[in-house]
Amino acid sequence: MLVQELHKTYKGALEPSLKGLSFSFPEGSIVGLLGPNGAGKTTTISILCGLVKADAGQVQIFDQQQNAANREAIKKLIGVVPQQIALFPHLTAIENLEYFGNLYGLKGKPLRSLIDQYLQAFGLEKAGHKQVRHYSGGMKRRTNIIAAILHQPRLLILDEPTAGVDVQSRTMILQFLREYNQQGVSIVYTSHLLDEAQTICSEVVIIDEGHAVVQGGTAELIARHDDCRNLEDVFLHYTGHALRD
Amino acid sequence: MLRLLATIRKEWLLLLRDRTGLTLLFAMPVVLITVMALIEDAPFRDYQELKFDILTVDNDGGRLGKYIKEGLGQTSQFNVIDSVEGAPVTEQQARSLVNEGNYQICIIIPKGATGAIVSNANKIVNDISRRMGMPENVLPVSNRKDSLHVTVYFDPASKKAFKSAIHQALDNFLTQVETDMLLERIKKQLKRKDAGEENDSMNIQLKAVGLKEQLTGPSQELDVISNSVQHNVPAWSIFAMFFIVIPIAGNMIREREDGSMLRMKLIPGSYLAILAGKMLFFVGVCVVQFYLMMQVGIYLLPLLGLPQLTLGQSFLAAFIVAIGIGLAATSYGILVGTVFKTPNQALNFGAISIVILSAIGGIWIPLEIMPPHMQMIGHLSPLSWGLDAINDIYLRNVGVSHIWGDVGKLVVFAIVLLCIAAGIEKRRLS
Repeated sequence: MLVQELHKTYKGALEPSLKGLSFSFPEGSIVGLLGPNGAGKTTTISILCGLVKADAGQVQIFDQQQNAANREAIKKLIGVVPQQIALFPHLTAIENLEYFGNLYGLKGKPLRSLIDQYLQAFGLEKAGHKQVRHYSGGMKRRTNIIAAILHQPRLLILDEPTAGVDVQSRTMILQFLREYNQQGVSIVYTSHLLDEAQTICSEVVIIDEGHAVVQGGTAELIARHDDCRNLEDVFLHYTGHALRD
Repeated sequence: MLRLLATIRKEWLLLLRDRTGLTLLFAMPVVLITVMALIEDAPFRDYQELKFDILTVDNDGGRLGKYIKEGLGQTSQFNVIDSVEGAPVTEQQARSLVNEGNYQICIIIPKGATGAIVSNANKIVNDISRRMGMPENVLPVSNRKDSLHVTVYFDPASKKAFKSAIHQALDNFLTQVETDMLLERIKKQLKRKDAGEENDSMNIQLKAVGLKEQLTGPSQELDVISNSVQHNVPAWSIFAMFFIVIPIAGNMIREREDGSMLRMKLIPGSYLAILAGKMLFFVGVCVVQFYLMMQVGIYLLPLLGLPQLTLGQSFLAAFIVAIGIGLAATSYGILVGTVFKTPNQALNFGAISIVILSAIGGIWIPLEIMPPHMQMIGHLSPLSWGLDAINDIYLRNVGVSHIWGDVGKLVVFAIVLLCIAAGIEKRRLS
């Protein structure tokens, strides 16, 4: 993925959300897109997905430019796990996954077998026929991830996938992401849980006030500064201690 | 196609599991239609089926009183009452009974009214005879100078249209008596002139041209009267169909809030197919609502003593109109769901706007009885287009070829709203 000089100012906004954001990483990485509130993470993800158009700059994903002509092709390559539980609460997990699978053009037995496979992988095989509104937070998060990978994307973007889940679910999700990455899938991951990011991300991009303040290998960045013992120290080193609104 | 069918299935499952929503969509309109048809039955019957008691005080005792009483009695709308508690009603008593609201109308026929008419007829005939050189002043004429009046007292609460109808009827009776008497005198005078001649030239037909009522619809065998059921069932069905705005707008706002709309937009393929699936489903719900309400008019309301709903003869035309109304209502719901950010805003705006559009669109009371400027505004309401089309089918018995104007307006309305919604959504994303 190559992101070059992205600029974005929303209509009516006083400040630009992105001010020349640039970063890149190779295929097969797990990249942590980190930053304080208001840094521009959500805008960046929206541009990567093709939901929002940048005012200037370019995005290249697997050799394809993100533009109107390639938007649909790129959508096929990426899966997005939004921070919200983007599921229909009154439908069962299977009904939700069947619906989103159908939207991806999947149907019939191949879809059903894929759903069964993922439900089992995420420990939800017994709860597949339960309405999602009756699920715990962890179960919802796991189903939310399945809905994003049904079409076997090459790039998976996750926005705080473990927010509000118990330790067991979090461990399970992180373990799945590692295994999924080993299958060759690139992962972009945002979170405020920096210890979690440190354990899972091979690369880190820290952005603040609309531009990348640093990018590099997680271990390398920690080693670069004597006063930094972990990723949180690196984060504070580059973004400071001032509170953000 | 898979996206469209999947969306229809998803909406179907969601609706099935929302019991409150189901009740609001189907049970509430049934209750609404039943209540409105019952409440508005009396006002609709006023001039059609209800019989009014009319107090008559006949101080004349002559032919005029007899004509008026017989004439009113022969119509299906009036009961002529000339005695109360076994005694002939007096003028003062009649006035007091009307004033207290016990009767809506009282007619006082003055003493000597018939005599005055006879005298007037005689005077005219004498004058004609004189001009024709026949013997003059054969018929007696009264020297009375003051004119007599048949007096009518109305209950102060009587409606203007009712008063006007009574005035018209009484005027007709007076004219008829005067004409009859004049004709009689002319005949008598001519007989006198032709005395001894064999041929009877007096076969005068008074009414050369009569009045005949005929229906204007293409199939004249139907004779449907606009009654409470005939107005309220289609009108409130359209109102209920437009209330689909609330679940659609709520559904869209929830999908936006919980992120499922975002997920749908992240999936490759046109979001329009998803929107089309949603629209098709809700248009289907509207059509089912429409036919359920028609069943209420046909089967339930007659059990409650109301007339049965008559559907006209073109079922295809009614089906097309129901789809048109469904499209307009669904598009309105999508626009409301796009414009507003919270379900509460959408609920309040949606409900109030539909009540306003229905009030000006002739749902509550027919547009025809509104002031002209309100009628002009009312014709801008999509609910009035739907109601006009249904009335054309049910009351005027028209077919498919006659409804395209109204259906076209409903479809254009739907397209315009969808374009506005698309523009707003695009602007929001940018």
